[in-house]
Amino acid sequence: MAPPAQSQRSPSPSQPSGKGEVSDLKMQLRQLAGSRAPGTDDSKRDLFKKVISYMTIGIDVSSVFSEMVMCSATSDIVLKKMCYLYVGNYAKYNPDLALLTINFLQRDCKDEDPMIRGLALRSLGSLRVPNLVEYLVGPLGAGLKDGNSYVRMVAAVGVLKLYHISVSTCLDADFPALLKHLMLNDPDSQVVANCLSALQEIWGVEASSSEEAAREREALISKPIIYYLLNRIKEFSEWAQCTVLELVSKYAPPDSNEIFDIMNLLEDRLQHANGAVVLATIKLFLQLTLSMTDVHQQVYERIKAPLLTLVSSGSPEQSYAVLSHLHLLVMRAPMLFASDYKHLYCQYNEPFYVKKLKLEMLTAVANESNTYEIVTELCEYAANVDIPIARESIRAVGKIALEQYDVNAIVDRLLQFLEMEKDYVTAETLVLVKDLLRKYPQWSHDCIAVIGNISSNNVQEPKAKAALIWMLGEYAQDMQDAPYALEGLIDDWEDETSPEVRLHLLTAVMKCFFRRPPETQKALGSALAAGLADMHQDVHDRALFYYRLLQHNISVANSVVNPPKQAVSVFADTQSSEIKDRIFDEFNSLSVVYQKPCYMFTDKEHQGPFAFSEELGNLAIGVDDQRVEANDEDLLLSTTRKEDSLSQQTQGALLVSLDHTEPAATHAQQTNSVIDDIFGLGLSSSPTPTPSPLLKLNAKAVLDPTTFQQKWRQLPVSTLQEGFLTSQGVAAMTTPDALVRHMQLHYIHCIASGGQAPNFKLFFFAQKADEPSNFLVECIINLSTSKAQIKIKVEDESASQAFAALFQAALSKFGMA
Amino acid sequence: MLQCIFLLSDSGEVMLEKQLTGHRVDRSICSWFWDQSLSQPDSFKVLPVIASPTHYLFHIVREGITFLACTQVEMPPLMGIEFLCRVADVLSDYLGGLNEDVIKDNFIIVYELLDEMIDNGFPLTTEPNILRDMIAPPSIVSKMLSVVTGNTSNVSDTLPGATSSSVPWRTTQLKHSNNDVYVNLIEEMDAIINSDGVLVKCEIFGVVEVNSHLSGIPDLTLSFANPSILNDVQFHPCVLFRPWESEKILSFVPPDGLFKLMSYRVKNLRNTPIYVKPQLSSESGTCRLSVMVGIRNDPGKAVDSLLVQFQLPRCVSSANLTANHGTVDILADKTCSWSIGRIPKDRAPQMSGTLVLEEGFEQLHVKPTFQVGFKIMGVALSGLKINKLDLKNLPTPVHKGFRAQTEGGKYEVRS
Repeated sequence: MAPPAQSQRSPSPSQPSGKGEVSDLKMQLRQLAGSRAPGTDDSKRDLFKKVISYMTIGIDVSSVFSEMVMCSATSDIVLKKMCYLYVGNYAKYNPDLALLTINFLQRDCKDEDPMIRGLALRSLGSLRVPNLVEYLVGPLGAGLKDGNSYVRMVAAVGVLKLYHISVSTCLDADFPALLKHLMLNDPDSQVVANCLSALQEIWGVEASSSEEAAREREALISKPIIYYLLNRIKEFSEWAQCTVLELVSKYAPPDSNEIFDIMNLLEDRLQHANGAVVLATIKLFLQLTLSMTDVHQQVYERIKAPLLTLVSSGSPEQSYAVLSHLHLLVMRAPMLFASDYKHLYCQYNEPFYVKKLKLEMLTAVANESNTYEIVTELCEYAANVDIPIARESIRAVGKIALEQYDVNAIVDRLLQFLEMEKDYVTAETLVLVKDLLRKYPQWSHDCIAVIGNISSNNVQEPKAKAALIWMLGEYAQDMQDAPYALEGLIDDWEDETSPEVRLHLLTAVMKCFFRRPPETQKALGSALAAGLADMHQDVHDRALFYYRLLQHNISVANSVVNPPKQAVSVFADTQSSEIKDRIFDEFNSLSVVYQKPCYMFTDKEHQGPFAFSEELGNLAIGVDDQRVEANDEDLLLSTTRKEDSLSQQTQGALLVSLDHTEPAATHAQQTNSVIDDIFGLGLSSSPTPTPSPLLKLNAKAVLDPTTFQQKWRQLPVSTLQEGFLTSQGVAAMTTPDALVRHMQLHYIHCIASGGQAPNFKLFFFAQKADEPSNFLVECIINLSTSKAQIKIKVEDESASQAFAALFQAALSKFGMA
Repeated sequence: MLQCIFLLSDSGEVMLEKQLTGHRVDRSICSWFWDQSLSQPDSFKVLPVIASPTHYLFHIVREGITFLACTQVEMPPLMGIEFLCRVADVLSDYLGGLNEDVIKDNFIIVYELLDEMIDNGFPLTTEPNILRDMIAPPSIVSKMLSVVTGNTSNVSDTLPGATSSSVPWRTTQLKHSNNDVYVNLIEEMDAIINSDGVLVKCEIFGVVEVNSHLSGIPDLTLSFANPSILNDVQFHPCVLFRPWESEKILSFVPPDGLFKLMSYRVKNLRNTPIYVKPQLSSESGTCRLSVMVGIRNDPGKAVDSLLVQFQLPRCVSSANLTANHGTVDILADKTCSWSIGRIPKDRAPQMSGTLVLEEGFEQLHVKPTFQVGFKIMGVALSGLKINKLDLKNLPTPVHKGFRAQTEGGKYEVRS
């Protein structure tokens, strides 16, 4: 319906193409405009239909605007609807003409039929012409007080539309307050839901500039409102339930009884026919129990069945969206799903993206008891018609083998793959066998026997070829014809396009030479000669290096090429656990589908003006912006940061300031602390972490938990950083108490702590010595990575950096004494 | 929050566009999407959720029609997809099926429906019963009426009572001259039989469908003889949770007409009603294939509409297959379908023949998977049994009816 016709496709013969038809229509409409003869409505209807069908296929029919308006005086509701549709589409580009429609829309807003009142109000809001907002205020105000719920429901959304056209008009008319009143008092649940959505959006945007709006926004997740909504949850439409559940997931109940109450109340939502409701409920349950380890586990058990049902019941599209979430959970807690592996078996007709997710999950849930069956199933896929799936499943078998379950049987299976004589199966298998041998050198005997029979002519893929060559070099003494196989490969040097293969070839022939010198000498000579003449820089350099090494000292060369090797124990994981945690926090969002946290794929521009900040306390958006800039400056200094934080930087999204570690602290301090940061040590290596002279803490600070809770909810996050524990600290951290006592020495008091090794979560607070200004800290410690995520909220923003530094310093000294 | 919904025909043409917010989405996004889907070998393989340079796109495909929705903000992906599915369901219900022509002929109705289903990106109501009260379906009857009476509006004069009632899925003043209610158990059996003939997975996905035409506000309770076999259940919003939780009784005030009361899953079934035994042996460029089909566990009712389908591997150049019962068709896309119909009493159906492999192939390495379809009327293979259906709040006697059937769902046999 884009008014300019440029985007239309080449019109098919049945579609009108030129201006002729449009001007014809214009004529006919004009004739009908004044007519009151019976049957006029029918002919009008035909004409309107034509106009709209043109509009739909992308032809610009804005030139008949005035005629359409003239014809709009009718009592026929379908005609009205068509007219509203037309007007809504073109008004924005014809603001002057749009004024013509105001009159009849305003009149319709007073119609006695509530349906027409509602429709007119909706269309009035959809005009989106800034000059005309003044005409919108009256009808909206009346609509919010209308006796009919349909009209009120439309009006509530109308307020939001008005807000996006003109913020000041909306606020001046005090509509948010009216909406709030309606939300809390209206008997109709859809009205309540629409008010809630509108208010969330309006206050979400306003919160950055107005304290009052920020307070109101916080009030939405206060206990009374949350309980009010939860008590009516069953009255809401399924979509409104999703909105409410999303809101509730931001609410932090102060004690576990409340958590159980909420979960009991909502348990039946897991049985809802609408998958979106089920998933929103699951998210809420997971969030609520995050700090209660054993209950969290029970939640997993409880949500398993509904998730698996959703996966198998819906269309492939729905099933994919659910599977992405299941995938996330399975990866977090594979052992909980170990007994459900059969649900993850691939069906023949499933699209590739579904099968791929399932294969990954099957790999993850494999354990001692189910490996045999899973591997049997995976092997069936290797004979699958779908080549990418066959490849993926072979890789999956390999991954399971690397996990050490039942390796014996798996090696046999892998070797059987090699006998299938399908090039892609052979290729994938070779790569895997290579990895297996690196981890389990003890299997070399079995593997070598089979590998030795593979002709390198049958292997074309560079990765597979490189793997084969690596094995030829590594096990040259066990393979009869290794030197001759290598020689054959070197003869074809010129035809080998992949530098990776040529590099491997050089190394392999070197290794082989030291094991079986007489047989290999000739091959080595020609390989070095070919390598030195190679156009590829790396190949050339390596050849030259080997050549000089051999010239220099043969035994040194041997120890360089054939050093004693240790079996690889763990292969590097591709995705860091932090990112996985972040994605988990964003459960039930696009992040899960893309398998990336949202900062990696959204940027501020695309979040549009109605972007909500996900973070609960992060209200001070203006402040954040400044910090983003500060971050960029820091970046120039600290180039050793991890890659993912780099991408965060460049994305420049709202979240940047949340997870950026040091800046707040470093910025205020001397450059030497910045240098410490470059080494990724937080402040741990500063010799004497000098508590800023500006900041003295009260040794006997007191704060009761309720106040803490309240303040925690109200305050914005001032600093979010990552701290590191020393190895002594990790060792001392057998219980949270040890850390609690340690921090107490630094006048930082613990108010709550929980968790079990390796994960602990602690809440601290501190007070300034001279004034009652509080610092609140959430500290999540992971012993396995010796990292601590620190979230600081302060009442006095000016002292925040000093306090952050102080906290870091105290933490880094833990365990040293 | 969705910003725009497009309906695309199977040739990628934009049939309909519904802008939802002030952030207008240019329809050039559709051509981007279409190019994207053409670049995939099989359009079925485009991910349902993808990111374009400017928007995140959700789409579903139904009967060749693509429902495409765009957003620029983070939102629950399932909500977007689920909503599109509902739109497709409602449209197909209203228009009596989905295809390009029917949408183009009725685009005004589609606009009207979308208008009530979503406002400013928030889904409102997708309950078919409420929508039907607001916007009359384009039935032949209403067309006839409009000709006769001259009243051409297809919008009912009154606002739906349900929008303000406490039972949002039901209009308040319903009157039927004949009160009747039918309960159907419809089950689908999903099974995987692996190449060793072992049943690795077998489960049933079932739906309890109710077709109710009852006056007033009736109160129904439905109970099962063996609810303990159900592994997981999902309910229509009308079902009260407490009675189910405590006594496994379904207590509900039904919507009018046909609806899904409940869906359920029964896992770990040990038996399938039929067997399908494929055998392949290949030798010097040809492959002998035979497939036997028969009753394994007699379900007590006739097994009908039996169909065995499989995809010929790409390396097969020609196939010569015959059956002693039913017909064998080989389609242009190398799908071989053997439709057997009802299994005869006197002999076991068998299909056999040879597959000729392309030159250079000695053996058949890629083994086909056989997909089996069947239908058994009168039996719910999960074993679920309805105990009784009680009706309260009804003045007149009511006719009650029960039915059951089981179909083959994702039932596959590997060779």
